[in-house]
Amino acid sequence: MQTLYNFATGPLLWASFAIFLAGSVWRIYSMIALARKKEMSVYAYMSWGFSFRSIFRWLTPFGTLGWKANPAMTVGTFAFHLCLLLLLLFAPGHAEMWDYNFGLAIWSLPEWLADTLTVVVIACCAFFAFRRLRVPAVRYVTTTHDWAVLLLVFLPFISAFLAKMQLGNTLFMTLLHVLSAEAVLIAIPFTRLSHAIFSPFTRAYMGSEFGGVRHCPDW
Amino acid sequence: MKKRHLAGPFRAAALVAIAGLCLLMWLPAALSQEDIKELKPEALAPQTRPAAFFMHDAHNEKAGIDDCTACHHGKDKDGKMDPEDNSAGTACVDCHAVNARTGTPLKRAYHQQCISCHEQKNQGPTYCGGCHKG
Repeated sequence: MQTLYNFATGPLLWASFAIFLAGSVWRIYSMIALARKKEMSVYAYMSWGFSFRSIFRWLTPFGTLGWKANPAMTVGTFAFHLCLLLLLLFAPGHAEMWDYNFGLAIWSLPEWLADTLTVVVIACCAFFAFRRLRVPAVRYVTTTHDWAVLLLVFLPFISAFLAKMQLGNTLFMTLLHVLSAEAVLIAIPFTRLSHAIFSPFTRAYMGSEFGGVRHCPDW
Repeated sequence: MKKRHLAGPFRAAALVAIAGLCLLMWLPAALSQEDIKELKPEALAPQTRPAAFFMHDAHNEKAGIDDCTACHHGKDKDGKMDPEDNSAGTACVDCHAVNARTGTPLKRAYHQQCISCHEQKNQGPTYCGGCHKG
């Protein structure tokens, strides 16, 4: 298992980064080509001003009608994405990787705060699962694909938490953490997780069309 | 009421026993000097993770390390790392300051010393909890 861990944190990590980057570039390129072929109007309406107006508005919690209509989901999704990004960039264990591999001493979250944010992410995953099971409108549109990506995103956090707390086999938990995070990275361009790369573009287009064509805000 | 005192021989025995117990307090410290069981440098306090579990003699026996310089490297005249120079007996922190601007800071030095060897040999833990056991 230790040998597999060394492989997962070595060649497999670089392969995951490469697939993630190449896949993302390819997905964005094919979407641009598709829009050029089928929807040339997209390029005519696109505006920097309306784009950023919409992006910033939707980045503000409770800043839009959509966010106000579902307060629980608004809190859940903002907490989830914010904690996820903070942990990805500033988890103490990740800072140690930067320090050891590249000699970069970066700022990191205090241990207690990183643990708390991890629990928040896990709780948000539970909330998303509950929502998919219990809210009829959400349940109706939920597919196996949705469950698969939710499970995939949940795994790196639960394994990180158990490894940190040294519950269960620590090597297994750390290995699961690395492998599942690499799976998420690879899945981003090819699954519904692609909202991570596409959301700024969809938001920008919505903002541009509502602003430039309908002359009204898109929130 | 008259105070009761221990008789002479008993008193002497009690004093010797107490003195012996006091000496025993130093025993763990004395033992750890001889056989290192964990790496917990004072300079890195307060530690945020459990101290790295490290049985010096058992580790070296298992890894087949006889040469002290395998870990205890020294430095040359210019202050550069010299793998041939034996620095056994010198604390790591004496050369690797915690917040060193030039050279390798203490925590990074520990991590590089242990993890990179474990990676090269594909032996020994390279994940956090493998050494930092609570």
